[in-house]
Amino acid sequence: MVSTSTTEPTGATPVTAKPPSPPLERRFTLVTGKGGVGKSTVTAAIALHAARRGLRTLVCELNTLEQVAPILGHPPSGGKVTELEENLFSVNIRPAMAMEEYGLMKLRFRALYSVVFDNPLVQSLVRFVPGVNDLLMLGKAFNHEREKKPDGTLLWDRIIIDAPATGHGLTLFRLPKIIADAVPAGNMHREATEMWSLLTDPHRTAVHLVSLPAELPTQETSELCHQLHGLGLPLGLMVVNKMPTPILAPAQRAQFAHWSARPSHPVLGTLWDAAHIREGLVALGARYGHILAGLGLPMVSFPQIPTNRLQRADVEGLSDRLPRSGAS
Amino acid sequence: MSDRLDGLMNRNRLVITAGSGGVGKTTMAATLAVRAAIQGKRVAVLTIDPAKRLANALSLPTLSGELQRVPTTVFERAGLQGTGEMWAMMLDTKSTGDQMVQRFAPDSDKARDILNNRYYQYFSDSLAGTQEYMAVEQVRALAQEGDFDLLVLDTPPAVNALDFLDAPERLLDGLQSKPMQMLRNEPGDSITARLANRGKGLVLRGFNRLTGGPFLTELTEFLTVFGSILDALKDASVAVQRLLRAPSTQFLLVTTPARSNVEEALRFRKELAARGFNFGGFMVNRVHQALPPTSATPQEVALALSSGAFSDAPLEERVTIAQSLLAGLDAHNHLAEMDTAVIERLARVEGATLYQVPLQTDEIRDLSGLACVAKSVTD
Repeated sequence: MVSTSTTEPTGATPVTAKPPSPPLERRFTLVTGKGGVGKSTVTAAIALHAARRGLRTLVCELNTLEQVAPILGHPPSGGKVTELEENLFSVNIRPAMAMEEYGLMKLRFRALYSVVFDNPLVQSLVRFVPGVNDLLMLGKAFNHEREKKPDGTLLWDRIIIDAPATGHGLTLFRLPKIIADAVPAGNMHREATEMWSLLTDPHRTAVHLVSLPAELPTQETSELCHQLHGLGLPLGLMVVNKMPTPILAPAQRAQFAHWSARPSHPVLGTLWDAAHIREGLVALGARYGHILAGLGLPMVSFPQIPTNRLQRADVEGLSDRLPRSGAS
Repeated sequence: MSDRLDGLMNRNRLVITAGSGGVGKTTMAATLAVRAAIQGKRVAVLTIDPAKRLANALSLPTLSGELQRVPTTVFERAGLQGTGEMWAMMLDTKSTGDQMVQRFAPDSDKARDILNNRYYQYFSDSLAGTQEYMAVEQVRALAQEGDFDLLVLDTPPAVNALDFLDAPERLLDGLQSKPMQMLRNEPGDSITARLANRGKGLVLRGFNRLTGGPFLTELTEFLTVFGSILDALKDASVAVQRLLRAPSTQFLLVTTPARSNVEEALRFRKELAARGFNFGGFMVNRVHQALPPTSATPQEVALALSSGAFSDAPLEERVTIAQSLLAGLDAHNHLAEMDTAVIERLARVEGATLYQVPLQTDEIRDLSGLACVAKSVTD
């Protein structure tokens, strides 16, 4: 998807006719989008939605300033899987811990792990080689996907990953494929191949996109959408966050549209300014919302909430806007 | 445009805009560059953000990997004559990496070996962290050879921006580590051999169990060919570190009044101080500016509305409209108050200059839009 125009964002070409499973019915979910669009808020809303349907849900954040638990009114979980509330768990995956866990799983003995990982050469390799941290974090999320209860059934009904923003996110999603191609055989090849088949399975995986209804996020989102589709990743919902809402009633808005000259009356002038700014933002929002809708994914709009600190009730309100039973 | 910001650009040779995603770093970087060009400077703006958005505002068709001059006609069209030179570039990791190999490899055979190595091809194109490795080298080259009065560098969002700051050190650390030194002095299979000698092969067997043997072979091959450019790369890396900490280099932390962005900016400010980088101030973008409040009642406003767009509406309906308009003013000023409250936290940071850019309802589409933003900056 290449944009050629310098003024009009493009990308209204639909990428997919109909997804094989409704987006919210897939177990393995990644949430991505441009930086700063509210991925964590949307992740929290989707997780809450799942947990309230009685699905045992795990939220994974990837080595970031933890946000999902605090947004929902809970203390940060840190590196350990922590129960936030009924059916809802979260973890902030740290590369070092993921490495130790993976190392211990494969090597089985701590002594052997120490011999390998305390070796300066191995440490240096791990630090120097790009991509290792990403692979470790992704690997840990995949391990949660196959985690089982003592009775042999799967432990998690939903795994929701708050993935990095566009560029880094794409790199992360591509990583298993790169490793599988670059390493022709062995453990790592096998792991990477399994990861890739999960990531590209439209019945198990959904990549939800989050955007703002503004020019650059819209442009970046449509490019991202086409790149993910090209990679073979199954897309889920298109969540348009912070949609500006009008204050005037629909009929009043139509009248206001004809009031193009700022009145000289001092109070009316100020009221006109406020309404003019709001209507301008609403019109921009609607315009880009329309372009995002053109991508052809099931779309959900989250209204802009005028607050400096989202409350749990706000997120509950947002999660109520998600489709009820996963239908689009 | 604030005099203090002009002063900052006059006194320094490299200004780096950093902050969380979506706060308008790229726009701010372009704004600063436009302002410097208007004042007659020869300025280059560089972005390492993967989104190709700088091109839009600067009317450049492509920006990837090559330094391009913003045509003077673009300035003329915006009514800005007699300017200096403005150049722009998007740091493209693929060509940056290739350029680096070609530049530092001892001969063309070695360069070809590296470029053909499969791991390198993935490494330079796809793996996380690569961009940072490669970007810093380009910046250094421009600072050293570009003959610019001012470089403005845009960075990836905060979590990555820290990677960017750490990249030169991490690179150097890696290069100076014993294993890497060994690697440069010993022939092809040294890593494998060395691992095998230690602890009777336990390390190698353990590592192989983790990754499978072929991974190590691929990697060793890569590191061996890559090793041939390490010395030159090391010198470059030292130069980059010096540049990032030079007295003429300043970091501007861009944020919006959103609480989460402000918290990131405050966190980033601490990280900068801890690393010994120069902090030039906060730039708060998209600030709602308060409108004069009114004590007028809906009835009074309804009366005033009897002329103008709503003159046909009956009084009752005009009262309803007046109520909506008054609610709209309250809502706007509520947002302005929220912004002020959050911005105060930045103002409390000792010795920090605070620059503010008002919220724009018109989108920036061209150079005059950027120039307009440049003029609206206050401190």
